[in-house]
Amino acid sequence: MNLVWAIARRDISGFFNSVRGSIIVSVFLILAGFFFTSDVYTYMLSQSRGPMMGGESASLDQLLRAFLYNLQFLIIMVVPAVTMSSFAEERKSHSLRFLQTAPITPLQIVMGKFIAHTCMLLVVVICASIYPAYCLMYGNPDPGPILVGYAGLILLTASNVAFGLWVSSMTTNQLIAFLFTFLGLLVLLILSWIAPSIGGSGALEGIFKYLATTTHLEGLFKGVLSVSDIVYFVAFTAVFLLFTNSVIDSLRWR
Amino acid sequence: MIEVSGLTKTYGAVTALDNVSFKVQKGQVVGFLGANGAGKTTTMDIICGCIGADAGSVKIAGIDVFESPVEAKRRIGYLPDEPPLYTDMRVVDYVKYAATINRIPAAEIEGRVRDTIQKLSLQEVEHRIIGNLSKGFRQRVGLAQAIVHNPDVLVLDEPTEGLDPNQIVHIRQLIQELGGQHTIILSSHILSEVENTCDHIIIINRGRIVQQGTRDELVGMIRGKKQMQLRVRDNAEGALAKLRSLPQVVHAEMLSPKDQRLTLAIQGGDNEIDIIVDALMSGGFGLRELSGSARALEEVFFELTH
Repeated sequence: MNLVWAIARRDISGFFNSVRGSIIVSVFLILAGFFFTSDVYTYMLSQSRGPMMGGESASLDQLLRAFLYNLQFLIIMVVPAVTMSSFAEERKSHSLRFLQTAPITPLQIVMGKFIAHTCMLLVVVICASIYPAYCLMYGNPDPGPILVGYAGLILLTASNVAFGLWVSSMTTNQLIAFLFTFLGLLVLLILSWIAPSIGGSGALEGIFKYLATTTHLEGLFKGVLSVSDIVYFVAFTAVFLLFTNSVIDSLRWR
Repeated sequence: MIEVSGLTKTYGAVTALDNVSFKVQKGQVVGFLGANGAGKTTTMDIICGCIGADAGSVKIAGIDVFESPVEAKRRIGYLPDEPPLYTDMRVVDYVKYAATINRIPAAEIEGRVRDTIQKLSLQEVEHRIIGNLSKGFRQRVGLAQAIVHNPDVLVLDEPTEGLDPNQIVHIRQLIQELGGQHTIILSSHILSEVENTCDHIIIINRGRIVQQGTRDELVGMIRGKKQMQLRVRDNAEGALAKLRSLPQVVHAEMLSPKDQRLTLAIQGGDNEIDIIVDALMSGGFGLRELSGSARALEEVFFELTH
């Protein structure tokens, strides 16, 4: 575990000491702020016009749920930017050889990278919790759904990082790693919407919907902590970490 | 200490290594000589566990690199041809990281890092970012990560590549100091470097070991052969045919028909030269010039790899 943490610490330190890290964190937080502002504007509009139009005004819980959905989109943009260099850059610059010739296993390398990149993104996601914190300070939303929703974001982040690491491990080109990670995560995001068109109706549609991340985030964003949703994200993460381990181990045999 | 047996590695249709076998005793400094693309780096990568082999085995102190890679790698320090540096790290942080990854106990890391930095004269740059260092200093930092954990075996791939003469001398002195305490394999295509630093030389060509031994053994293997150049008075073609018929002449060819100049390789000592001169004089070809050259490692290498 010491070795895993040493690898993680190095990558985390490298990220936050770099210009790239600063830019990614800044862009994420600016966009999160933009989305929150937009959501608040919509909320306030619904507060003022809703009763007049005979409908209900939006609640703070709905505002925060909308914000969490927005963060979900931001995460699938930021994860590729963070994970693209995890293995691709190291393979290209031959610095991965440093780890390959050290007395550590490929799994320790993968776990170290996973912990590092998840922590990097969690720092950013947690920084964005300032917006729900405002709502808690100045409003009266139910904290339960906020916490469960954030737990969902953490699970989403971890699973997306695992996917990003796998894609990065298969190429030496960061741009390709970014593009394919982004496309893959986008497909997983929209899979539940396009499932009827690609899977028809019946069992296939059900499978595609199950594979979509949005299917499992919906309940979590509503504050429903479901074991099946947690198992989905944990299994997703484990599978792609395993794939990454296989790719890194297979580099010896190419 | 190092046992390489029947190593074979192919990349598609290209055979990079073909049944390579050799042993390195504890404390030896072995030079791995070969032209570009001969298989030196591939061999070293396999020894250090970077890549696998299609067949064969590698044992480090009796530990199989393929079966127990983690245990074997604890005993190896590797400096590849391109040092695996993290250019965004400071030198001292990188060496500490190398010490941690190579499982040095936490309490000993600081001391080991200090010793390594001192040994490689990196004090003046220890707080600088690696990406800002010159080639020579980067090479030394690469060497630092290879030796910080005091491995039994050091594998150095072209350790003086791209260095200036002063730095080359420094690295060679360092290798000589490290030899004895460590078993060292170093690869180079600079013959003088291998000659001056190594006890034992392995020559590899097109994925096969063509010869191995000490410098004197290698030179002595073809010591009997002498390369000579001569110039006859006339009828160089006839002289060539006459010389080729002599059992002492291993090889003869025309260098310049216009100048009546020939080159030949002869087996044996000075008596054979008398026989050649007699043959030329009795055949009426005459002899205007005769010169010879002593064999050196360079010629050994050339002969074995062509």
